[in-house]
Amino acid sequence: MRRSTAAAIGTLTGAALIVGVRLSVSAPVVPAAAPPAVDLTNTGQDVETPDSPTKSGTPSKKAPKKPAGDDKEEAAGEAGGGGLTNGVFKGSAAKNPYGTIQVSIKVSGGKITAADATYPVTGDSATINPPAIASLKQATVKAQSAEVDAVSGATFTSESYVKSLQAAIDAATA
Amino acid sequence: MHHAEHVMGTVVSIDLADDLPDADLRAMIDDVCGWLHEVDRRFSTYRDDSEVSRLRRREITPAEYSPDLRHVLEACADLWRETDGYFDAYAAGPLDPSGYVKGWSVEVASARLAEAGSVNHCVNAGGDIRARGVSGSGSPWRVGIRHPWEADKLSWVLSLTDQAVATSGTYERGDHVFNPRTGGPARGLRSVTVVGPDLALADAYATAALAMGEAGIAWLAKLAADGYDSAVVTDDGRAFSSTGLPAAV
Repeated sequence: MRRSTAAAIGTLTGAALIVGVRLSVSAPVVPAAAPPAVDLTNTGQDVETPDSPTKSGTPSKKAPKKPAGDDKEEAAGEAGGGGLTNGVFKGSAAKNPYGTIQVSIKVSGGKITAADATYPVTGDSATINPPAIASLKQATVKAQSAEVDAVSGATFTSESYVKSLQAAIDAATA
Repeated sequence: MHHAEHVMGTVVSIDLADDLPDADLRAMIDDVCGWLHEVDRRFSTYRDDSEVSRLRRREITPAEYSPDLRHVLEACADLWRETDGYFDAYAAGPLDPSGYVKGWSVEVASARLAEAGSVNHCVNAGGDIRARGVSGSGSPWRVGIRHPWEADKLSWVLSLTDQAVATSGTYERGDHVFNPRTGGPARGLRSVTVVGPDLALADAYATAALAMGEAGIAWLAKLAADGYDSAVVTDDGRAFSSTGLPAAV
């Protein structure tokens, strides 16, 4: 999910920048013909994140997940104060190794007020995108201490057992 | 009565909470330990004379397989299909059914205990747990899931009566789970815990999801319908759990 979300954010940023530039030099542009999406194979590469148990949250929070089709107020065509034409602008669908992503932005008052992206819903990508993981709820990993009867964890060896919580429990109840 | 037995390359902790004479409990523990050592002798890939090693060398024909070996091979094949190839007893080349055998042997051990009269027990094989009935305090067994970075902390605490808990992770023995699609070590998930009725399956599901990486989170979500709940921690510290996870309150 992280990888594809990063790709979506990369695309959103890229598309927004390109739209912004286009509109400022040759406004008004027909909104539906947003420039081709940026190359996701370059922008979508995963950023190595070091092991960090305290890190929480996901980039997906920054990318609203509502379907792009929500906004039907197609391009009112009224230029806002900032030089951008008000309306909803869709980028062309861009294929990338994880599926097809289409971005859209909403301009009102001459500013980009919302950005969105569709996610792949078929194939491997569907299994790693936000809608598919809805039934596992996300949280920050907790570190707690509690009285327990047993501890489940990755299998320890006979040697590493002595340092395990389970060994402490066994010693206490022996 | 409590007992810790070194067997199968790890330590199996056996906790019997039944109000029975010590001699009976002792006999039950002896029986279970005998069974676990027998499994080790017959299925270990580290012993040249085990049934599995002999099968690898083709010294025995399928007609000579013991019923247990036949069961293990069939279960591994079923799991291979069920997990889209991610649970693979042949991932490292020659047959290595260890990923199924440990959970299965403890599931059988728990069934033997129940048959012998122990309805309240908890068996923990190096982190894979089968619990029945209630603990010595008369309440459900409390099982902690080890925190994937802090060995002395827990990330979840569960309350269980008749359930199994299996955890697969990369933090204890390094890169020992492989992604059969890439041939490389599993990446993306630090710890996968599966809770459900059968330890052999819970263990195999946890291993398969770990091999899948982040795609395993969505795959695990689908298992909830079959009674297998899960709790996952990613490499970058995000935690996921199914709504049915029997978290203690």
